[in-house]
Amino acid sequence: MAIKIFFPTSCSAAENGLLIGRWLEEHRSAVILATLQFPFIPANVKEYLGQLEQVTGMSLSVLGTWSHSKAEADEKMENFLGELSRIFRHSPWLRMARESTSKFWDCRIERLEDGASEDVVLVYYDQMKVMLSELHSASEHSEIAAMFNTVAKNQLLFANDKYDEGPVKLTHWQSEGMEASIIVELMKQASVPVCAVLSFFVAVITAICSLRVLSGKPLSFLWNKLSTCEQLGKRLENLHVISRPEKAPDHPAFMRKASIVLSLLIDVVLGVVLMSWLYQGNRLGQLANALMPVADRVALELQGLLQWLMGAPAGLKMNRALDEVLGRFFMYHIHLWISYIRLMSPFIEVILWYIGLSACLGLSVALSILSDIIALLTFHIYCFYVYGARLYCLKMHGLSSLWRLFRGKKWNVLRQRVDSCSYDLDQLFLGTLLFTILLFLLPTTALYYLVFTLLRLIIIVVQGVIQMTIDLLSTVPFYALLLRLCRSYRLAAGVKFQMLEQKSGKPLRLLMQVNINPLPYGQVLETYRLPSRRCYPKDSWGSLCKKLFFGEVIYPWKQKKNKQQ
Amino acid sequence: MSPVLQNPNSELYTSVRCGASAPPDPASAPPDPASDPPRWKKVLYERQPFPDNYVDRSFLEELRKNIYVRRYSYWAVVFESAMVIQQLCSVCSFSVVWWYMDQDLLSPQKLCGVGLAFALLGYLLFDAVDSGAGRKECGRTRWDDLKSSLVFIAFTYGFSPVLKTLTESISTDTIYAMSVLMLIGHLVFFDYGANAAVVSSTVSINMAIFASVCLASRLPRSLHAFTMVTFAIQIFALWPSLQRKLRAYTPRTYICVTFHFALFSVAGLLSISGVGAFLFFLLLTSVAFICPYYLIRLQLFKDNIHGPWDEAEIMEDLSRFLD
Repeated sequence: MAIKIFFPTSCSAAENGLLIGRWLEEHRSAVILATLQFPFIPANVKEYLGQLEQVTGMSLSVLGTWSHSKAEADEKMENFLGELSRIFRHSPWLRMARESTSKFWDCRIERLEDGASEDVVLVYYDQMKVMLSELHSASEHSEIAAMFNTVAKNQLLFANDKYDEGPVKLTHWQSEGMEASIIVELMKQASVPVCAVLSFFVAVITAICSLRVLSGKPLSFLWNKLSTCEQLGKRLENLHVISRPEKAPDHPAFMRKASIVLSLLIDVVLGVVLMSWLYQGNRLGQLANALMPVADRVALELQGLLQWLMGAPAGLKMNRALDEVLGRFFMYHIHLWISYIRLMSPFIEVILWYIGLSACLGLSVALSILSDIIALLTFHIYCFYVYGARLYCLKMHGLSSLWRLFRGKKWNVLRQRVDSCSYDLDQLFLGTLLFTILLFLLPTTALYYLVFTLLRLIIIVVQGVIQMTIDLLSTVPFYALLLRLCRSYRLAAGVKFQMLEQKSGKPLRLLMQVNINPLPYGQVLETYRLPSRRCYPKDSWGSLCKKLFFGEVIYPWKQKKNKQQ
Repeated sequence: MSPVLQNPNSELYTSVRCGASAPPDPASAPPDPASDPPRWKKVLYERQPFPDNYVDRSFLEELRKNIYVRRYSYWAVVFESAMVIQQLCSVCSFSVVWWYMDQDLLSPQKLCGVGLAFALLGYLLFDAVDSGAGRKECGRTRWDDLKSSLVFIAFTYGFSPVLKTLTESISTDTIYAMSVLMLIGHLVFFDYGANAAVVSSTVSINMAIFASVCLASRLPRSLHAFTMVTFAIQIFALWPSLQRKLRAYTPRTYICVTFHFALFSVAGLLSISGVGAFLFFLLLTSVAFICPYYLIRLQLFKDNIHGPWDEAEIMEDLSRFLD
């Protein structure tokens, strides 16, 4: 196996000196981080490397010598460099030499364990990109991952400036001062007090929310049902995450924090834009005036639908008496609803005005309030649906158990199966009488159930679309997308090698390109997606259809989660 | 009095012996290795000089034919068929009574009175026939009977207005078809005393009740519906249990009752339709007299074989060997 030497491109013009880096024993490759220029005192060098190791936790060593001869080979220098190998006892010992006349570098390896001379592959890398990029889709122990890790951990090494007066003089990549601009510094300084204020604020709100009065039985039920409360709780949690004073421990946590900050900002900006649009002119009043007729109209349409159902809809064989009873019952409900809306109508504009203020908390909060308003305005449909479903469910269960009685069977609860059973004559008679009655009344109930279930499903779909928009706003990793767009090397999917020159007897030279393989957008979304607290419907389409068929009430999904707990 | 004479060793159905002329039992006779060729034995634990699929001539010696066949006597079978006659007549008279009610020729009060009288009479007979032995055996008290009858009457009366409007919007033909299907089902599943899988007295009674509820919902008033359902209970649920007792204790009375019942239902049908009555009469005659004769004739063609072998039967699912 050939020995690979990773060499930073920024060091290729350095003066003669020592190579400082790390030897990866399991991969048989050397990662060179910097070159050390003359003059130096060997003891100082060792001390400096020891200090670095204490901070980074990764041992660096002097791997070999580096000579860069401008003109012809210098015999004395050669000898001096040879002498150095006795002072720094690292094995293997590299001797790299670059002659300005030749394209090819000379690379010799001494003190290998097995003694055999091996092929050498020289890989050039861009130190800044390797340091800043986060390698995805590479296994934990691969060579490239180890190399990236080595470079990233020794960030401290690159922090000292080449004009600094120190005990050692190093050549490596240096930032050009962009990152250390004054605005960034100021923001960094300001973030600490801001975080402290935010966390105090969050703590106060959390304390208020956890008061016993508010988490009592009737109110907590209400909080669970309103999606606004859920959204506010989620935002509070986000604030709690980003106001933590300590630094993010690793890359995913950092990305998450940054994405949350960005999505909060975008959300609030969109909300403010919406609010400014709403409060311009008399838009709110127009909206309020439009809302009431819509609610009225929905009620009227429902009335028409019920009247149609009370006739003989589509020539179906309905039981006239039951049909009339059900129809009148639902009509009375609509009558109640209309009078309630009439009562509300003078106040609706004021209510809307105050609700509109909440848009400054973010677009997602405004949207969840809209979803709640829709839920409240269609409460009568929900009631109809629940009545219809309960009645239908009762009928289906009655019919299924009476059908077993009809066949002389019964459901054995202990064994979870259908057993045969001998019934008394009066049981048989009563069972069959009820069975007949239920069977002939089933089409009427089923039709009412079907119509109201369809209405309910339409509302659920509308609310689902709103929920999905909110979810999209709060889970899309904006920061990761921004990085992918502007600094694509920061999120690398892998690396690509480009062969420079090859000549027999001389080491193969490769150029490693980090930014050639950036992460695709889909994978960025998948990797850095913020966790969503919404619980999606866990059951499949099949089980949903089964539930609809047996008339089980399909609540809003969050209720089911509570039930499962 | 058993209707069936069972005699497996009679002259007519003698067991037939096939194969060679009675060789000695292979298990008892010791093999003679010196002179004879080795004799085949029906064992698996010994190594024998025969191929695996070898079948010895002694194999068919134990073949028997028609050992479980029964001999029927004609009049016993006719007596048994009386149950079928009774059930056919029940269905027929129920339909006739319904027709009279539907045409408003029979007032519900009259039917109710007659039904009540017959029910009381039957109740007294039910205990008198076996002088209370059956009642002691199953442990039902008179209080239980009273409770059951109260449940019947209360629920039927309570539900009769619902019954009247139940099938208003459904077409009459549908109701007729459903009732006919249900009544045929009642006849098919009825427990005539045969030991078969389809027999289920529960399903049979339920189907009859279903049919009666369907038909009752077509009647003009709710009192009609109430009377009709009560009558159905009497004729389909109570009457067969009385019949069973009569048949067990006083067969002569039973035959007499069956004859009169058949006569009554044919007469009732005659008052509606002559052709129907004639066809029904033909049906009854064929069930009572022609079918038993045919059954006995067919016994001559019976050809069952029995032997010491097991029938090949695939017990487990072998589909896993297929691929």
